[in-house]
Amino acid sequence: MTLLQRIRNAIFGSLTLLAAILFIAYPTDEAYVFIIAVLTLGLTIRGIREIVFYFFMARHMAGGKMILVEGVIILDFALLTGSLSDVPHIYILLYLIAIHAFSGVVEVLRAMEARRTVSGPWKMKFSHGIVNFLLAFCCLVFIRQVHTALIIYSIGLLYSSLMRIAGAFRRTTFILIK
Amino acid sequence: MQEDFHYYATYCAAFIAGYSHEESLDIAYSAQFVDQCSRTLLAKIKGPSEAATTQLQLELMDARTDPVGLQDITRIWSAFHFLPRDLLAEKKKCCRLYREKYRLICGPNGDLVKKTVELAKDRPLQSVGIAMHVLADTWAHANFAGTPSLVINNTNFVFYELLYEGDGFKERPVQFRHKTSAPDDLDKGIYTNTLYQNNEHSIMNLGHGRAGHFPDYSFARYRYLPAWGEYGEIIKDNPADYLKAFTQMIYSMKYIRGEKESFETGVYDMEAVSPWLDRIRGILEKRQLLACDDWKAFGEELSGQAVEDFVIDKYFDEYVKSPKKEKDETFIGKFAHGAVAHKGMVISEIRRSGNRLAGNVKGTLAGLWKGARG
Repeated sequence: MTLLQRIRNAIFGSLTLLAAILFIAYPTDEAYVFIIAVLTLGLTIRGIREIVFYFFMARHMAGGKMILVEGVIILDFALLTGSLSDVPHIYILLYLIAIHAFSGVVEVLRAMEARRTVSGPWKMKFSHGIVNFLLAFCCLVFIRQVHTALIIYSIGLLYSSLMRIAGAFRRTTFILIK
Repeated sequence: MQEDFHYYATYCAAFIAGYSHEESLDIAYSAQFVDQCSRTLLAKIKGPSEAATTQLQLELMDARTDPVGLQDITRIWSAFHFLPRDLLAEKKKCCRLYREKYRLICGPNGDLVKKTVELAKDRPLQSVGIAMHVLADTWAHANFAGTPSLVINNTNFVFYELLYEGDGFKERPVQFRHKTSAPDDLDKGIYTNTLYQNNEHSIMNLGHGRAGHFPDYSFARYRYLPAWGEYGEIIKDNPADYLKAFTQMIYSMKYIRGEKESFETGVYDMEAVSPWLDRIRGILEKRQLLACDDWKAFGEELSGQAVEDFVIDKYFDEYVKSPKKEKDETFIGKFAHGAVAHKGMVISEIRRSGNRLAGNVKGTLAGLWKGARG
């Protein structure tokens, strides 16, 4: 990671951290719509980028189809997320429960696999999985509260902001070729 | 390849090719210095930054990965460590950018190896050392490219080490980890590699970083699935390849010395090593992190003289203390000229093939290259 990338990550992480705190302190319907819009746009761009990368480059690569699958799933999530601005909150919470529980299972399985093949860092993946499970559990417990979805999303945002800031100061090691 | 081959084995090859002990040491120093001569080091001794032949870990971490930054990385790594095998290699039904990357895949016996050796003829010993480094690396770094690219350099879980068992080999899955603080565990088959990054231009995807140092070990035999090979597996036999590298170095240095009329690829001077063939094979097959001691002992037995260890700053004082006009005549000055000449040749050939990834030879580099060509 270059110095510029580190600075960018630290600034972006701080801004999202601030937004997450504001959303938790002042949960409103406008904030909810804003989050849906940002999330939809971000996921759409990322999904399209991965699909384009697959068709131009990664289709020749061993295992490159995973990049296509990833792109299609992300784009699918983008479209689904965009459609959530006009549905009852109970469905959004069910969606969040499903997403976090699924992510949690995937992360924990990947952590176990990484641990088995000594390819680490498995602890980080494992903690991601646990956090996802906790978020799914919180959605289930507070399913009757009006602003639960927004608060749960904000907690997730808080976590990823902190991870991004920590990542900006983390040493990135690689093999120096001789 | 590592110091054991670039310094000590190169010394042995040079001596067998007919160079004196002192000349062989200079060639070996130059060959190993290619792995040390970074911009940071050149700035320290006030040398020309265009002569950089490698990049330090810190330099790479801060390297830009925009098109200009990628060209800079590609110039250094393609020219000195991953010499392309075939700049006109065909790959059907792919876009231009992919084809350009595909054509930078390193391998032995390409046209550029021939040009590299021919360029070193009638030049100082420093140029011979540079050429020997480049030639040797075409064997160790084969099938990886000197440009950051996920779609070319990535490796996956299909990576097996082939170990002797009875009359044949058994396969053991290679386990990779990202812990640079711990040495590779040869007994358990655990090696350090770079992190998987799905960003095409991540520096983690440069060269054989995804396979760690494993391809650099002379004892390594392995089967793996290269990212670029359309699901075709490759079996790499390093002991056999390193022997070819060693004997090709001897042949090429005999050509440079004028003992052979022309240099042809695919020719190995096996006759020259026949008295020591078992000894050399023994060193290459021995499972160890560095074979410096074995090669050094072999070199001392060959020449009957003590082979000094590689000391990076051996020639720094001479260069730093020389007046500006006389710097070109110092050891480091001649190395810098040789490096610029070689880099200029490779960039120019890559560009001539229509490939844009290494940019053009222009500005200071072009001036220095023309000067070096005389």
